[in-house]
Amino acid sequence: MSNCHAAIAADADAGSPQVALVGNANVGKSTLFNQVSGARQQLGNWPGTTVEVARTDWRPRDPHGHELHLSVVDLPGAASLNPVSPDEQLTHDLLLATDGSERPAVVVAVVDASAIARCLYLLAQIRELPQRVIVALTMVDVATRRGVEVDVAALEAAVGVPVVAVDPRRRSATAVLSGAVARSLAEPAPSPRPVTLADTGIGAVDPFAEDDDRFLWVQSVLDQAMTDRPSDHQTWSDRIDRVATAPVVGPLLFLAVMWLVFQITTTVAAPLQDALDTLVAGPVSDGARTLFSAVGLGGSAVEGFVVDGLVAGVGMLLTFLPLMALMFLLLAVLESSGYLARAAVVTDRAMRAIGLPGRAFLPLIVGFGCNVPAIAATRVLPDAHQRVLTSLLVPFTACSARLTVFVLVGATFFGSNAGNVVFGMYVLSIVLVIGIGLLLRSTLWRTMGAEALVIDLPAYHLPTLNQVTVMTWARVAAFLRTAGGIIVVTVAAVWLVSAIPAPGSGGSLANVPVEDSLFAASAETLAPVFEPAGFGDWHATSALMVGFVAKEAVISSWAQTYAAEEPADAAKPGALGDRLREDFDASSGGHPTAAVFAFLTFLLAYTPCVATLAALNREIGRRWMLASVAISVSTAWVLAVAVFQVGRLLS
Amino acid sequence: MTALSPTRSVLALIEEGATSIGDIARRAGLDRGVVDMAVQRLVAQGYLSAVPLAIGCPDEGCGACPSGDGDRPGCGGTPTAGPVMITVVPSRR
Repeated sequence: MSNCHAAIAADADAGSPQVALVGNANVGKSTLFNQVSGARQQLGNWPGTTVEVARTDWRPRDPHGHELHLSVVDLPGAASLNPVSPDEQLTHDLLLATDGSERPAVVVAVVDASAIARCLYLLAQIRELPQRVIVALTMVDVATRRGVEVDVAALEAAVGVPVVAVDPRRRSATAVLSGAVARSLAEPAPSPRPVTLADTGIGAVDPFAEDDDRFLWVQSVLDQAMTDRPSDHQTWSDRIDRVATAPVVGPLLFLAVMWLVFQITTTVAAPLQDALDTLVAGPVSDGARTLFSAVGLGGSAVEGFVVDGLVAGVGMLLTFLPLMALMFLLLAVLESSGYLARAAVVTDRAMRAIGLPGRAFLPLIVGFGCNVPAIAATRVLPDAHQRVLTSLLVPFTACSARLTVFVLVGATFFGSNAGNVVFGMYVLSIVLVIGIGLLLRSTLWRTMGAEALVIDLPAYHLPTLNQVTVMTWARVAAFLRTAGGIIVVTVAAVWLVSAIPAPGSGGSLANVPVEDSLFAASAETLAPVFEPAGFGDWHATSALMVGFVAKEAVISSWAQTYAAEEPADAAKPGALGDRLREDFDASSGGHPTAAVFAFLTFLLAYTPCVATLAALNREIGRRWMLASVAISVSTAWVLAVAVFQVGRLLS
Repeated sequence: MTALSPTRSVLALIEEGATSIGDIARRAGLDRGVVDMAVQRLVAQGYLSAVPLAIGCPDEGCGACPSGDGDRPGCGGTPTAGPVMITVVPSRR
């Protein structure tokens, strides 16, 4: 085979009739060409273009035994003769060339029997030309396996040109094709397919008239030539989708699936998390202390930073690794199987029902992974008001960082019901998006129109192990990379502010109890704001302050401040939960459950992180970014107070 | 649904709230491949817009994604893989 990327000769064998293989991508066209050419093909750019084509001389014998001298060219895949790429432009130019000498003598239209409708549109256009055409029907076996039977004789009658069924992988394809080409060359070109432009009654030129004529022709050919096809367009995916995207059952199924994800995540990963917690709080912390004592730094500020800061903060995050990995794995399975795409249909329908723009669901769904790219994804919205509205709603979507805190708090306070609590927060997040959306829509943007939308859903399929593993690992690694960086920085910052004595406390730098530090003092100043919500305690307030930077840091902040209070309490490894429970009990006046729910609600609704604020500033400007902070913080506070007060009355 | 204008049928069904190609094909009495091609043509003519719907991926690609590694996908996927979201372009209605 010669393989040069110089311009290929327009006609390798001057005077030889040219046979052009034309068809959609992936229909077996190049396989057929390889079967015809053997090792004799030339590869190069078509003259005057950068489009690569393959050409070969072909010497088959006609039915009378005479050798034919043909030149065969394999044109790039094209879906239609309405070019949208240089590849399609070449096919268009060659078939519609005004200079007749450049036109092929015979066009072999390669048609995939298993995706015949898509291929027939191109054939409809080719048949409008004064051109000899042969249809090479490929993938007949694949079509049969899918329950699609094509009657070759009926197809030939319907399209008005010869049809030959070929298997491009077999040598017999060459003999079948050569016979058809020889017969075709012996005849004049058939009459072009007449184009009937239906009277639409609209008077002016109908922009759809030509397409409609072709579609009706294709449908007519299919009706004549398809002797068997899946009944009523029903595939397995269609049948599943009748349930999965149904107006009432669809959303319920989606919620049930998400509930199962959180249940499995919290129950299966819990023992692993406990084991890691024991390891970090016990042997790892003890080992680090022993090491510092051995080098003479026992009880020093450095030991405090490393053991009570880095080990406690980063270690706490690591205990959640099995949990995060399992959650990402389950979401990867849902995504790879095609189910998560159905969530888009369900969400879209809900959004349209309440009058929000349908397109807004895309950034909102992205927001359940991370709010930062979700804000950037609002660019898909064509209308500035829609962009602002959606950007204001994105921070209410429960990103994976917030889910981690929900899981920690859920596991600490609610034991085996942790999964239900996390699921409840997830649902509350959806309710908040809809509720705040409706509120903003009815006050700020009453004239915004809804859009029609359709989703080309992929067929369901079983996810492969490799696919799911790669997706899970990539997300776990990305979470650790991002969270790890943020946590190390915030741990250092919190440690530093915790080491500075509050004015009037009497301590010295790096030698002050954490409750007398500047960190605790500043949190205590803010804590009364949260008293009506039942968590007006400096520990909870400081965690929310740190959480303003990034939600992942809430856990490390707690671990750090509680570890710093009782650094030598190795007898109670993993006792963070006990201390949290005690503090919530105290701050809520004996209603810790209501206070915890209020805390989780505040955590869900207030500003996600500084990175999201930066994204908001970039996408919708400083004024709307500040409005977002005001809306989310005030919503969070009002809801948290309401949750606590109602919960207190009920408990 | 009339078969006089398959293109208008497809467009009308999208505006009426059909949510998938299969749904449109069923309601229009057209082959799924015909509907697929009609949507492609409507997109090419600017009556519909199509956006790849890779859930979890930002619109402008992997560069803005926390899972991305530079401009390459860190998730092992491609930003354009998966379902496509199609919307009617209001100015062409």
